[in-house]
Amino acid sequence: MQKQDFPDARLLQLTVAAVVAIVLWFVIRGALPEMWRTPGSPALYFTGVAGVLLLLVPVAFVLAKRGGHSTNPVGWFNAHIVCSLAGMVLIAIHSGGFLRRPPALLLLALLALAVLGVWARVRGSRRMSATFASKAPAFQVPDAATRERLRALIIEKRRLLAELDPRATEGTFSVNLPHFIRQPRLALAYRKLAREESLLLGSRSAVSAQQAWWRPLHMALAWLFVLGVVIHVVTVTFFAGYVADGGPITWWHLKAW
Amino acid sequence: MDSKSEQDKSEQNKSERLALLIDLERCTGCKSCEAACKTEHRLGPGEYRNKVVWASALEEAGLAFLTLTCQHCERPACLRACPVNPKAIAKDPLTGIVRVDESRCTGCGECVIACPYSAMGYDAKGHHAVKCDLCVDRRAEGEATTACASVCPTQAIRFGNRAELLADAEKSGRLPRDQDHFLLGPATIYLERTKPETISTATAVTPARAHPQQSRRPSFMDGLAAQAKVLDQPPAFPYGETREDTAPDRVVPGGCNICFNCCTVKFHFKNNNLVKITGNDEDPLLKGRVCPKSQLTLQMYHSEHRLLYPQKRIGARGAGRFERISWNQALDEIADKLKVIRDQYGAEALAMFIGTRTGILDYRATTKMFAQMFGTPNKDGTDPFCASGKNVAFEITLGNIGSGNSYTEHDLGSAELYVYIGDNQAETRPVYFGMINDWRIKNGAKMVAVDPRLTATASKADRWLPIRPGTDMALGLAIAQHILANNLHDAAYCAEWVLGFEQWREFILQKNYTPEWAATATGIVAEEIKRLAEEIAAADGCVIFASRGVNQHTNSTQTNRVLMFVAAITGNWGRRGGAFFNMSAGTPIAAKVPEHRTPRINKPRVRRSPAGWTDAMLHGKPYPIRALISCNNPLAQWPGQDQARAAFSALDLMVHIELFANETSAYADYLLPAASGIEKGEIGRSNDDRRIVWIDKMIDPPGEAKSDTWIWIELGKRFGFDDVLKDKYKDPAVFWDEVCSDSDGLRGCTQKRLHSVPYRWVRQPVATEDAPEIETLYLEGTTVPGGTPGRRFPTKSGKLEFWTEELETKFNTLGMSALPEFYSEREQLVDLPYMELLETDAEAGVISPFCSPATGSARGRIVSPGPDHPGAKLRAQGFDTELVTGRPPAAHFHSWTHYFWQSQEMWPDLYCQIHPDKAAALGIKDGERVCVESAHGKIEAMAWVHAGIRPTAVFIPIGWGERQPYNPWRSVNFLTDKTQRDPVSDQTNLKVLLCRVSRAPA
Repeated sequence: MQKQDFPDARLLQLTVAAVVAIVLWFVIRGALPEMWRTPGSPALYFTGVAGVLLLLVPVAFVLAKRGGHSTNPVGWFNAHIVCSLAGMVLIAIHSGGFLRRPPALLLLALLALAVLGVWARVRGSRRMSATFASKAPAFQVPDAATRERLRALIIEKRRLLAELDPRATEGTFSVNLPHFIRQPRLALAYRKLAREESLLLGSRSAVSAQQAWWRPLHMALAWLFVLGVVIHVVTVTFFAGYVADGGPITWWHLKAW
Repeated sequence: MDSKSEQDKSEQNKSERLALLIDLERCTGCKSCEAACKTEHRLGPGEYRNKVVWASALEEAGLAFLTLTCQHCERPACLRACPVNPKAIAKDPLTGIVRVDESRCTGCGECVIACPYSAMGYDAKGHHAVKCDLCVDRRAEGEATTACASVCPTQAIRFGNRAELLADAEKSGRLPRDQDHFLLGPATIYLERTKPETISTATAVTPARAHPQQSRRPSFMDGLAAQAKVLDQPPAFPYGETREDTAPDRVVPGGCNICFNCCTVKFHFKNNNLVKITGNDEDPLLKGRVCPKSQLTLQMYHSEHRLLYPQKRIGARGAGRFERISWNQALDEIADKLKVIRDQYGAEALAMFIGTRTGILDYRATTKMFAQMFGTPNKDGTDPFCASGKNVAFEITLGNIGSGNSYTEHDLGSAELYVYIGDNQAETRPVYFGMINDWRIKNGAKMVAVDPRLTATASKADRWLPIRPGTDMALGLAIAQHILANNLHDAAYCAEWVLGFEQWREFILQKNYTPEWAATATGIVAEEIKRLAEEIAAADGCVIFASRGVNQHTNSTQTNRVLMFVAAITGNWGRRGGAFFNMSAGTPIAAKVPEHRTPRINKPRVRRSPAGWTDAMLHGKPYPIRALISCNNPLAQWPGQDQARAAFSALDLMVHIELFANETSAYADYLLPAASGIEKGEIGRSNDDRRIVWIDKMIDPPGEAKSDTWIWIELGKRFGFDDVLKDKYKDPAVFWDEVCSDSDGLRGCTQKRLHSVPYRWVRQPVATEDAPEIETLYLEGTTVPGGTPGRRFPTKSGKLEFWTEELETKFNTLGMSALPEFYSEREQLVDLPYMELLETDAEAGVISPFCSPATGSARGRIVSPGPDHPGAKLRAQGFDTELVTGRPPAAHFHSWTHYFWQSQEMWPDLYCQIHPDKAAALGIKDGERVCVESAHGKIEAMAWVHAGIRPTAVFIPIGWGERQPYNPWRSVNFLTDKTQRDPVSDQTNLKVLLCRVSRAPA
């Protein structure tokens, strides 16, 4: 039984609603009380905190999807969409409209993530379905050396797997989060072999670049965003003086270096 | 687990492994498997669990196909790529089946990217992976096999235990293809094609067997823009529904009403809602095999494009603006206008164009009765565009239409040689071809295909002879000459069973129609013609199949006769495993109107061909036709579209009875919504082997649509015809038993008998309800049904009639001889004799001795080409290419399949098959838009670069029209010419016109 994720129309509605909310906030910002225009004001501070909390849901989605305990990954996927969009609105508000400062890059990353995600769902999906029966190498015979290397890789993978997860079968196994947590070195080594095998199969290079790389790009952007948030939090918490640049420090902080 | 125990476990499980076996020697690329899969799993546009791919390169004259589906690998790359934990893809350790758990799939697409076979599908709307699971759910419900294997017309797909499938293949000497290039351990088995024979002559080609490493599909087929049109229109019920919501509670046997294969099917209902159409596995002949069309009629019954209520034109003709009216208003107004026209111009001013879309009961009964009572002779259907030449040829040679043979193991299955001439049976009657191909493979029979194109049929042949279109008669004459000159014929058979044999033999030898002579005309070297002649003569059973490629010419009747004569002189007529076939045997419905209810008809029919009526509509010559009731789509179908449109614009009344609004609808004054198939109840179409397939009325038509029978009976009431066209005949079962089956051949084919078998067909002739069916007619020592004892064939003489004085007189009336003399077409790339008509359609001409009722016909004259003949002039103007038109692949049939979303998904755009050499010379690439222009018009299409066509020719299929909902294109009949017709049958040449091709402007 399939659990429905958001149809394209609903996804677009949600995205448009988020964009409208952001634009609207920028339009009416000038007419709002001072606290909504002052970076680090309690109102904007707590808006930022709320935004980050919402944006932790996509992180939780990543963990739930890979952690091995989620019964409803599709539900988590939907939650990651809704919370990301809502978080994006709150982060836009949190920016106070100061878009020429480095933290605005985070907002830009969020927008890029949203655009990429929506494109993948609405347009990229069509490419995905058009992939069926489209790969030219489907029945091509690779050269003997490639085949030999594949054979060696499989043997090597089986050897590693005996240590990494003795109960698993190589043909149906791939490393996941618990493996990385329990045995990172082995997991990484296995992952490297799996990647090499994938390269030899040439299946990713057989599809268009957008189709092949949107998801790695989406994930890379997401991790960059997370890194940016961490830097931002550390900076405003410990380097409040540097951030305030001589102005008043209106937000909660531990050090005013 | 160590690697050894892993391997042991794997070995043990291998014995339980399930798999599909796909035989490249059988697959014709019909896509029936795709249709079955989508129906079974209710997959929408863009969602695939299987798909046909071309296993040949563009640059070679090969055409091989295979169904690509999940390989159910031992080491599935898709499964390993799935990032969800636990995974959304699982592999059954016993059966090896790899399945997607859609409830866990987040739609990231990593599995789609990872599969090197690109056999992982994706639902672009539901955002999740989709894949073949070997129909686990279906089999859990008790079905023995997968949906794709159950319908495959050619038995190219088999399902079962992998080890057993491999053992079977090995037993029959077939080799599995090694496609484990990535060490993934694929389970799906692909059987290599069999080895071809060696060809020694220059013009015969052995179709390349298969090169899957170069596999690709024609570019236009997967064009994102064309596919988006289907994706953007959500499909109607039941696609996208759950299995539970579409689980049938009732199954009713019946038949497909679309094409001439006439497949038996089962209609599956849930709460009286049609949820699925499958083949009828209880049919002892077809065994559940069906082509894609039969299954896709599901999309006709649920189509959002259907006409729902009567409409009246409110805008200019052609503008397509209508208002809704009631049936009473529509029929009253039509009747009133017809009465005015009849009073002013006479009854013959009404013309009726009745296509086989209406169903055989209406085509041969209700409309015929209406026309007789109304008093108009101007009624005909699509025959003069498709089959009238062969019908006349059969009538005068055999005395009946159809060969008399059957698709059974003992009859056609016992032949040693199958020769296809202008018959692409694999795509026009896929299930019949599947049977022939099966017998070919099992019995080691030979197959030769003569066709300008390497069709799906030719791709299975031992030899393909790429003949110059329009010269099949020369080939037939030369084969006959070689057989007769070398005394290879069956002399005893000819002496006893052929009337006029000596006259014809003398004629052939005197004319010196040698293979060397034919080589110039046909483009086939003399040695190959001799070889074919000798093979036909030597075979213990040769079946010659001909079809539209032979029929759609100005020499249609005579070419058919020549090929019939070849079959006859080699003893291949009236025997098992030997025949001349030309598609459907006629259905002998003899609906009779009492004589006192038939007004005297004062004028002959203008012409047999409806295309010959346009001068009467436009100019009132030879007499006026002022009203047309059309039950088909003439404005895509009639040759010479510009003139047809002008003629329709000039009418006082035009009524169009149809399922879908199309080009013709736009010109109608009244547009009446029709019912079809199980919405009305009818018999299937006339088919090759005389099966009458009964289809019950099972559901109500959509909206206010009515059966054609209902419409004609109601219209008849307004003229007082209801004493003959009785109200009770609206029930097709009553109409069949009381009227239609009242003939010697059908009297035993009653409703009771038809319903006594679970497959709903009876093979005619059956004179009484308990008369046995006859597998092969006209066997030596038998008497023709209904004939006097000893009369073997249904001609007056009881023999096959090649030449008689009576026949000669008849042919002389039309300026011709009963002894077929060679001529080809007016528009050719080489100088060949052609037929010139001495009268135009505006002139009365002579009364044709080959038609009933009395019909005007032009006389003809065979003209030897000179420097200023039409073909030479056209060549001088740059028309340097032979245009061949014809049937599209199996998923399409004329206009109506263009309203089925999946037919459009399979074959979206109008295409132009063009040879790579020609394409390169013109700078045309595969999938580009091209412009094709003839002396008669201009259209555009998408290029399909394909080496399986004569380098001098292009092929464009029929069926597309400019008002179709998905991918509208101008009909190819804008390029054809209504004035090139056969004087005997009035058949139009649709198979060779000169044209020029160029890249379409951006």
